[in-house]
Amino acid sequence: MSNFEAEVLVVGSGAGGAMAAYELTKAGRKVLLLEAGRDYDPKAETPMFKRNGEAPLMGAGNSDKDFGFYDATVDGGWQVPDEPYTSAENSEFLWWRARMLGGRTNHWGRYSLRFSEHDFKGKSRDGLGADWPFEYNDIAPWYDKTEALVGVCGTNTGLDDMPPSPEGVLQPPPLPRIPELFVAAAAKKLGIPTAPMHRAVLTRPLDSRAACFYATPCGHGCSIGAAFQTTTSLIPMAKATGNLQVLTNAMVKSVDVDDKGNVVGLSYIDKKTATEHKLTAKVVILAASACESARLLLNSKSAKHPNGLANSSGQVGKNIMDSTGANFGAMVPALQGRPIYNEDGHTANHLFIPWWGHQAQAKKELKFPRGYHFELGGRFSEPGASIDTSLQGYGKDLKKQVKNKYGAYVHFALRGEMVPNEHCYMDIDPSVKDKWGIPVPRFHWKWSEHELNQVEHGLQTAKAILTEMGATVGELPTPEQAILKGGQIIHEVGTTRMGASPKDSVTNQWGQTWDCPNLFVMDGGVFASNPHKNCTLTIMTLAMRNSAWLAEQLAAGSLMKGAV
Amino acid sequence: MTKNTKLNSADPGYQYQSGMTRRDSLKLLAALAASTMLPLLAGCEKPAGNAAPAVPATAAKTGEHWPDLKLTPVGNKGYGKDPNLIMPPKSPWPLTMTAAQLTLLAIVADILIPRDGQVPAASEVNVPAVVDEWISAPYERQQQDRPVILAALTWLDDEATMRYQAIFAKLTPAQRLTIIDDIAYNNEQTPQQFKRIANAFSHLRGLVVAAFFATPEGTKDIGYVGNVPIAGDYPGPTPEAYAHLDKVLAELGLSAFAYKA
Repeated sequence: MSNFEAEVLVVGSGAGGAMAAYELTKAGRKVLLLEAGRDYDPKAETPMFKRNGEAPLMGAGNSDKDFGFYDATVDGGWQVPDEPYTSAENSEFLWWRARMLGGRTNHWGRYSLRFSEHDFKGKSRDGLGADWPFEYNDIAPWYDKTEALVGVCGTNTGLDDMPPSPEGVLQPPPLPRIPELFVAAAAKKLGIPTAPMHRAVLTRPLDSRAACFYATPCGHGCSIGAAFQTTTSLIPMAKATGNLQVLTNAMVKSVDVDDKGNVVGLSYIDKKTATEHKLTAKVVILAASACESARLLLNSKSAKHPNGLANSSGQVGKNIMDSTGANFGAMVPALQGRPIYNEDGHTANHLFIPWWGHQAQAKKELKFPRGYHFELGGRFSEPGASIDTSLQGYGKDLKKQVKNKYGAYVHFALRGEMVPNEHCYMDIDPSVKDKWGIPVPRFHWKWSEHELNQVEHGLQTAKAILTEMGATVGELPTPEQAILKGGQIIHEVGTTRMGASPKDSVTNQWGQTWDCPNLFVMDGGVFASNPHKNCTLTIMTLAMRNSAWLAEQLAAGSLMKGAV
Repeated sequence: MTKNTKLNSADPGYQYQSGMTRRDSLKLLAALAASTMLPLLAGCEKPAGNAAPAVPATAAKTGEHWPDLKLTPVGNKGYGKDPNLIMPPKSPWPLTMTAAQLTLLAIVADILIPRDGQVPAASEVNVPAVVDEWISAPYERQQQDRPVILAALTWLDDEATMRYQAIFAKLTPAQRLTIIDDIAYNNEQTPQQFKRIANAFSHLRGLVVAAFFATPEGTKDIGYVGNVPIAGDYPGPTPEAYAHLDKVLAELGLSAFAYKA
């Protein structure tokens, strides 16, 4: 740390924090990035080309590695040792964390869909939730820059749900595979579109990163940098400016203020030595993830900020939204015994079903206000620990069954927009602390009829498409049975939402907290709503835009004049 | 530790020996150590050996019976939240199956997946060792599977003893199949007394099948050709695959709706 005086402290090295560090260091600002987890190098640590059979339990997930042995997540998952969280009575919420440099960007799905003007103005349309404090046109140029920097493959479709990117920004998407083409035809007959998914996966080289070679699931991480993660891109790029220092194993405990209540820095625990340290700087940026940043603010109480820092609105910790999730699939007889070829592709959706119901919703033909999309599954995937208890018999006939079923199962994963509600929030558990003595979040959760009606519609739609494909679909589960738990889609946002007024929001449109002009939030906490399109691209886009704005304020010396 | 190469799993007197192709010798040593000392540690009061079944032998068709296994939790530690993914742990936890259980499992696994021309049988690619690793693992799902798998194996010995006064491994292949034929089809026609074992056997079969196809030989057998680097763009489906889709779409009246980029 010697001879390095940071002007800006960034908490968290994932999508938001790494983008903030990249943008600010590029603008010549000295940044110290704090990460609660260990250092991580995808070039050395990613299990490229490894087979399930080489892993314990054929690679199956468990409480140590929730998403399978090879998942990139380090020291994380639904539970982090020594760092508990709690749920209130009759609530269940799952909180995914990754304690590693790059955070959750090391394993994310890389789905990267732009939000639209429709998405930003939900409240104006149906009176629910909150509008965002800007127009799509304000943010579109920043989507352009983010997509170009990150590298996103996909196409401009002209569909309502998919705002176009400028010519030359998107990289070409991979060709669709047979099950996707089959779904596309059945869906089209029902008036439902399919489109190439937009993914933060390079199909052309970019900077020092190679193009995808269509092998090894992206969730394992990507040693060649084709699948975007901050550890192969933004962090090394920011380091190359000479303006970035990274501190790993640094668990931030609180944001510190002076007697007047002004933010002066932060306190963190060095996990290696279990000692507490203080850092001071001009600006503090929280990008520790929506719930971790809200936890930090709520734990940073002082005489001037008795309800927690930046919480004069009382909105910190409120308005948590996840994406709705539900899974539905069936065996498709027409796909049984089809010709085998390499269907890995970029290992996730080549085609998906974007939300198509804008007009039906405008005409009030649907029982739910917000949209969803379907991610499509089913291909000749690598054999692993999937245990089929429906097989019969033994010997040659048994093998024939297995081979017939191979690649013939088609799966729909619904991801939908939830409306924030008063029952979904987090506060600080009054009695539980983590190993470091930091009070932990307590989650409160309840889906509303908006989400349940949406899931019901999704199940019926998936059944209709599968039926067109000739599949026999049994009785549908109820939406209550089908909807996944809060937090389970890992799109939790909204805990420090941005808005047009300090009365009902925590930050302005720049992620600058209304109460403390040198304190910013640049993770998913600032989302005013949670469109169904996966949050990471927009987290990065906002972090880039807002860090550029912050850099301008620092250059002009105008930061402390107060939020605008 | 002499390797018995003369007998295959269809022969009476066969003993399963973990091969060394899938995992290295460390794992085998661990398995052997575990199998010689662990019947007591595993708390299995009723070893799947020669103990007489509690229910007296009747005719060839027996009534419902179920082994009363008193298993204690494996008590092992998992591999933790930051294992080495490049060099996966070879022997992540002590194995708990006895030599007799592994031999029985190998015989059953080879009935399920026998050698098929050049494609090896399940026991030849160490499927029993994978199942042993699975049910010895300290995680929730595996610990739920453990009593099911061990009960299924013990049931087979009990049933064999009732029908033929010998454990399953000592039966002739034809005798073994009379039992397997009764429990390998889990449907509405399954006789009442075999419903419970048919369920457990379905689970064992699913695990054996997964373990087989996850081996290099099994993966090749099922036809998976991915996880290899491709230079340039992803080539997409083959002409045969497109032709098959066209036929399917035509049969379902969907040709007019075929996807166009």
